[in-house]
Amino acid sequence: MNANLRIAIYESSLIIRNGLSNLLKKIGMPVILSDISEGDSLCESLRIHRPDVLIANPLLLQSHALHHWREESGCPELKVIALVSMLWPEASLHNYDGQISLYDDMEAIKQTLLKLVENKEDENTDDEQQSLSAREKEIVVCVVKGMTNREIADRLYLSTHTVITHRRNIARKLQIHSVSGLTIYAIVNKLVELSDIHQAKE
Amino acid sequence: MEQKGVSLELQSPIRIDIGMYKKGLYKETDKMSDLICENYPMVLVMSRFGIALGFGEESIGEVCRKNQVDAYTFLTVVNFLTEEIQTVTPELCEHLSLDTLVLYLHNAHDYFLDFRLPHIRRKLLDAISSCPTDVAFVIRNFFDEYATEVDKHMTYEERTVFPYVHNLQQGKPDTKYNITVFSRRHEQIEQKLSDLKNILIKYYPGTGSYLLNSVLFDLFTTEEDLSSHTRIEDKLFIPAVLHFEKRMLKK
Repeated sequence: MNANLRIAIYESSLIIRNGLSNLLKKIGMPVILSDISEGDSLCESLRIHRPDVLIANPLLLQSHALHHWREESGCPELKVIALVSMLWPEASLHNYDGQISLYDDMEAIKQTLLKLVENKEDENTDDEQQSLSAREKEIVVCVVKGMTNREIADRLYLSTHTVITHRRNIARKLQIHSVSGLTIYAIVNKLVELSDIHQAKE
Repeated sequence: MEQKGVSLELQSPIRIDIGMYKKGLYKETDKMSDLICENYPMVLVMSRFGIALGFGEESIGEVCRKNQVDAYTFLTVVNFLTEEIQTVTPELCEHLSLDTLVLYLHNAHDYFLDFRLPHIRRKLLDAISSCPTDVAFVIRNFFDEYATEVDKHMTYEERTVFPYVHNLQQGKPDTKYNITVFSRRHEQIEQKLSDLKNILIKYYPGTGSYLLNSVLFDLFTTEEDLSSHTRIEDKLFIPAVLHFEKRMLKK
């Protein structure tokens, strides 16, 4: 699964914490933080680790204070999921971004978490395609030939800012973060010849 | 090919995902052989402390003493890697032997630079020998560039950080340097290795082979190994030196 969610768990039972941790690891969503102790340190921990999702026992977290937690910890985008272990009034769970029951199976938990990601990605579905656009391929060729962002911008009549954005998108799509890595990509996909690169470097 | 590679990541039993082997906190009285059998990536850790195989039924404490290795530091690294220890407390820092920890890190550097990377390089070149020469050329270039980066990264630690820590312990602190300088510039080094893995999985043009698969396995394990190495440096070594610096200041 390619959802890079940073998950934190806020729950006082070690058994439940570790159980949930292991389960999330199995579905490819490792937990970054599970040893938060009760009280003030939650805010502190959130500020340091900046998780995307907090799975919390509603008993420990008063739901009316959710927006307060988000503000205090400097994570306004934080999604909070209630980990419901007993009969709990529905109305008080409205403030949460989702619920996981102690009796949910793996698939249900996975779907609950994926739903959070989907919402997030709706905003930029266009560039979620993995293959490069023609423009991006042009930029790969320039990068591989050793041109600077400035030079690429001039050649393609773009702003350097746009070039940087393209490069960031390329790195994300291909999962290649270096020029020498892009070179392999460009050679394999016949975007450039080896001689092009040599000439450029001389 | 892509699908195959991805499933490797999820299922490979050879992956050094140390967390999944843990059997609770290890103690001096536990058998060394149990530690290794339950947790085989620890064989690398052990040899980096200068401990060889063939210790029979001896406990971790006994093996450490025979090899003149500080058992507390050894166990701290082990339990840290198995994620049984998650936070470094002042008490822990008090008991830790910085010399032993530096020796461990130094041997790990030797392992990566003198053994692991050259070994992967040989295997990789062998595995890609049948693919088009231009592709083989850029892949080799990529690897060599990476190896140079790792070398630079580790040589800095060897030449600057370790001597600084050594002098600090001798009571000769450097006025211009401190461990915070290092912690600020210390970066992870496994990203590029992960890039190479992705490139081979997604874009490798030749026919696959057992040897190439084996290289891929090596890349997965080495990436994990480097990442735990960095974690030890960032989360254990740096806080321990920081603690020592503070203590020196008080004097």
